[in-house]
Amino acid sequence: MVVRHFRVMKNRIGSLIRSLFRKRKEIKIGLYGPVNSGKTTLANRICMDWLGEELGVASVVPHETREIQMKESVTIEEDGKKLTFNLVDTPGIATKIDFEDFVKAGLKKKEAKERAREATKGVIEAIKWLDKMDLVLVVLDSTKDPVNQVNITILGNLDARDIPVIIVGNKIDLKNSNLALIRNAFPKYKIVGISAKTGENIKELYKALLREL
Amino acid sequence: MKEKNLRIKFVPYEKLKEQKFNGIIRDLKHNTIIMVDAKLNAKEEAQIIAETMRNVSEDFSGIEFGSIDLGAESGKGNLSKIKGALIERIIGRKRGVTIIGPANVVRKIKKNPKELLLHL
Repeated sequence: MVVRHFRVMKNRIGSLIRSLFRKRKEIKIGLYGPVNSGKTTLANRICMDWLGEELGVASVVPHETREIQMKESVTIEEDGKKLTFNLVDTPGIATKIDFEDFVKAGLKKKEAKERAREATKGVIEAIKWLDKMDLVLVVLDSTKDPVNQVNITILGNLDARDIPVIIVGNKIDLKNSNLALIRNAFPKYKIVGISAKTGENIKELYKALLREL
Repeated sequence: MKEKNLRIKFVPYEKLKEQKFNGIIRDLKHNTIIMVDAKLNAKEEAQIIAETMRNVSEDFSGIEFGSIDLGAESGKGNLSKIKGALIERIIGRKRGVTIIGPANVVRKIKKNPKELLLHL
């Protein structure tokens, strides 16, 4: 209980300090998560909703996003509140990248090797960019078991850097989506269930963002 | 059928930190599962992922790893937590164990609070 109160206090003081410096620098909101959790689909949803254009290409082939992509000056507005930020889409974090997986997904061997090489660089870049974020949306696939080392490492690193986090349980439009698994695995975090593909519950995410920053 | 050997190597946490993960990547590339006598902290976990990515090749696709945090499991009360944090400060590492395996050998590591299940 004491630890929890301490964490809440720490987050509030952090938010206060960040709000004092907000005018001096641009806010960066990062999309982090494992491969194929829907980060780029969510980035595109946010950009389409507020800018009328997409950020990047989303695909079912793993590691479609292999470079950091940023959309500047995204302004969201909800219930009279407004927030402008730079949206940063990052490559999916992974502990292994096997070019054979890309071959199985239909790529030629040479292309698959190139994609694997680029994907490894993308993971390193994503880790480096952690320090630059003011808030991170950790995008998890709500149809999958959330207890894995990649998710634990991402959340642990954000905690260690005192970066505010909202966990986005994506793909709630799918039958086997189970947000309770995410809630049980990471009880201390703010969790919002959405479908980046259909836009279901996306307003709740915007409200959460406005509350958090 | 060609016989495939699998080694399990114990690496003290102090040595792991000293080598900055370079040494264990060499071992991981040669079908060796590494066991460390500590739970790595989050930044070290990110470092090991980055170091792995620098070494991914046709023959080495990466790693699977998992940790048990004995500190978190030793007691739920505030006093136990303070005591645990104090012990960890003194010994200079987080109490627990970390298993790191090459992805071509360890397909998946399932984690429960008190055990790690390695799918080979």
